[in-house]
Amino acid sequence: MTGSAYAVYDGDELRDTVSAAVPGGRREVLIGVDGMHCAACVGRIQKLLVDDCVDPRISLTSRTLEFRFDPQRTQLSSVLERLDRAGFKPQVLAQDQGLNAMVGERRDALARIGVSVLCAMQVMMLAWPSYTDGGVIDPGINQLLRWSQWVVATPAVFYAGLPFLRGAWHAISARSLNMDVPVALSIMIAYAASVWRTLAGSGETYFDTATMFVMFLLIGRFLESRTRALAGERLRRLAGSRQLTAQRETAEGIETVPISVLQAGERIVVGPGESVPVDGVLLDAAAELDEALLTGESRAVVHHAGERLLAGSLNLGQSPLRLTAEGVGAATWLAQITHLLQRAQTERPRFQILADRLAGVFILVVLVLASAGAALWWHAGIDHALSVALAVLVASCPCALSLAVPAAIAAAGSRLAAIGVLAARPQVLARLPAVDTVLFDKTGTLTMGELSISEVTVQADVERDTCLALAAALERGLTHPIARAFSAVPSRLFALGQAQEVGRGVRGCIDGKDYRLGALDASESQARDGSTLVALYRGEQCLATFKLASTIRPDAESTLEALRAQGIAIELLTGDADAPAQDLARQLRIERVRARQTPEQKLARLRELQSQGHVVLAVGDGINDAPFLAAADVSCAMPRGAALTQSRADLLLVGDSLSALAPARRIAALADRRVRQNIAWAVAYNLAVLPLALGGVLLPWMAALGMSLSSLLVVGNALRLGAADRDAGRPAQPGENSLTEVCA
Amino acid sequence: MEILFVLIPLGVTLVAIAAGVLIWAVKSGQYDDLESISRRMPDDEP
Repeated sequence: MTGSAYAVYDGDELRDTVSAAVPGGRREVLIGVDGMHCAACVGRIQKLLVDDCVDPRISLTSRTLEFRFDPQRTQLSSVLERLDRAGFKPQVLAQDQGLNAMVGERRDALARIGVSVLCAMQVMMLAWPSYTDGGVIDPGINQLLRWSQWVVATPAVFYAGLPFLRGAWHAISARSLNMDVPVALSIMIAYAASVWRTLAGSGETYFDTATMFVMFLLIGRFLESRTRALAGERLRRLAGSRQLTAQRETAEGIETVPISVLQAGERIVVGPGESVPVDGVLLDAAAELDEALLTGESRAVVHHAGERLLAGSLNLGQSPLRLTAEGVGAATWLAQITHLLQRAQTERPRFQILADRLAGVFILVVLVLASAGAALWWHAGIDHALSVALAVLVASCPCALSLAVPAAIAAAGSRLAAIGVLAARPQVLARLPAVDTVLFDKTGTLTMGELSISEVTVQADVERDTCLALAAALERGLTHPIARAFSAVPSRLFALGQAQEVGRGVRGCIDGKDYRLGALDASESQARDGSTLVALYRGEQCLATFKLASTIRPDAESTLEALRAQGIAIELLTGDADAPAQDLARQLRIERVRARQTPEQKLARLRELQSQGHVVLAVGDGINDAPFLAAADVSCAMPRGAALTQSRADLLLVGDSLSALAPARRIAALADRRVRQNIAWAVAYNLAVLPLALGGVLLPWMAALGMSLSSLLVVGNALRLGAADRDAGRPAQPGENSLTEVCA
Repeated sequence: MEILFVLIPLGVTLVAIAAGVLIWAVKSGQYDDLESISRRMPDDEP
């Protein structure tokens, strides 16, 4: 490889994208290193970097290298070249601040959990004699035990418990209440009272309660954040797979450029093993690609000339492939999906908001009850009053309530992703189980999006190839299925003022004449065998008709069957003519069919169903569907459809197959049930233990244990959602056990 | 039972050391990836 391949990283713009500024005028960069296998490799890399890289961090696990450099003194390209010459294949990765933050958070949480567990065990041991003593312990030893507990409990409270104290402080300074307030309050009351008793040398201490409370809460929160992290994993993989440079083919040859300068229409070369940097149309006869990242499909996919390749897929072939860029940067499918997922993660589901609001009220009630409990037992001495107040505070902590929803949502989200469904909005999970009617579009949904030209009938004195070339020029760059049928046709012509008209096709100006490609005039627009006819017009004269054949999706029938088994009504709404629609309906046994629907009619039908009290799921693809999808209770888009549809849809079938639809509804129903179970359990638990705590039956440490177990139960119940899939949903794979078989 | 005045502080010191080692291990990334390490050996086999 020549040195110039890396020189592109020295340009200001790309350098600033791939590296982040750090204090001292330096920049930090993350590099993936292929060919690094062992500790010796790490040592070699370290030596290579010693001169001009500061603070290199090399991870053998993730095969990444992170270092800081001074852009005034060091060229990034020279470092990369050195690595390349040493036999490592450096690949500059996009800066992922989110990933770094997540790793840091996880380490932090683990350290705090470790400390809290160690301290809690130790305090428990030191407190044990006082549980059992009956006044026989030597006062001196008793005091030693108290002081030791104080020493051990202090890091547990102020280091491990810091997140709770800080959270409570932030909430109180913002004059609001959150979950951390009662938690911090109980920890601090238990700690302060114990310190006071230790200094006084008499009375009960609660160091054990405080440390155990911190420990269980930390574990509960850690499990919850793990669940969420799993859901975020896919997103990070998507975001991290963006290619930063591309090889552009120009008249002078091939040059490496940052992808930000690429424009639609340019020719791109993708080397073997590299990932496609843009969405585009394949120019080579055939190419083998790995689209696992985008669709979850792990088998290699073969694409032919004229088909659309997606950014983020890998070239599995032995030779470079060439494509014409169509969507670049933010317009790529990958970028749009990433954006949607990011939005879905920040958007909060409605019952989550409700649960949070409930929790706010709940906390206030808890604080009042705790004071009431203390007042009630004041007559029995301050010791008992304090113990009751503490028990009430701890027992009624609505931690389980706050975990109930997010844990289930996150688990359901990752399970949906595993079967190739992305929930673009979290609200979907609540609505999907209620769906009782599914409206399907025909083209690209029940039938394969890919149409092919099966017959050309020339109607005027024009050559067949000319007609095809004219049609191809009109449809170039459009993503409608009809347009894709023509994308494989070679054409040297260019259409000016290309305009798409909903329901009428596309028009444009070629060589000074107006052309239109679209539906035939009403009377004769369909073929008997269910294929689609489009006609090419010059002005008002019909030049040729094209017969486009489409095939039914192989999984359409089984999907409809599965949906019917769930008791769902199915209806076909299509803009197509009667004959092909009826034909399809017969084959798929759909009883309710409406053909020749304009977008307005589709919308009206949808509203009619909704006004009858039906909850409607709309499945579609294409520009004709956008308003229709937006109005449906739940909308679902096939991913290779037009970009516009994707941004409105609630669910995206990224696996490019319908079969995930029925399981998705089942998962949503399960998730909904888990959420309800969780909320019911959390509320019931809190209501049940409150009287016990108020009555002085429940000791503070029991309350801490109960509350934590309750939270763990809720998280565990949610995680069951993900686990069920692993056993039931996945077919046994031959060869999977090969390693164990060999060992046995 | 006077020996407790030595043993308990000793125990507390040991806990402090254990906590220190644990924090070091976590912060230096020992627990970052518990999955792929176990699969590396067959992976690296040429």
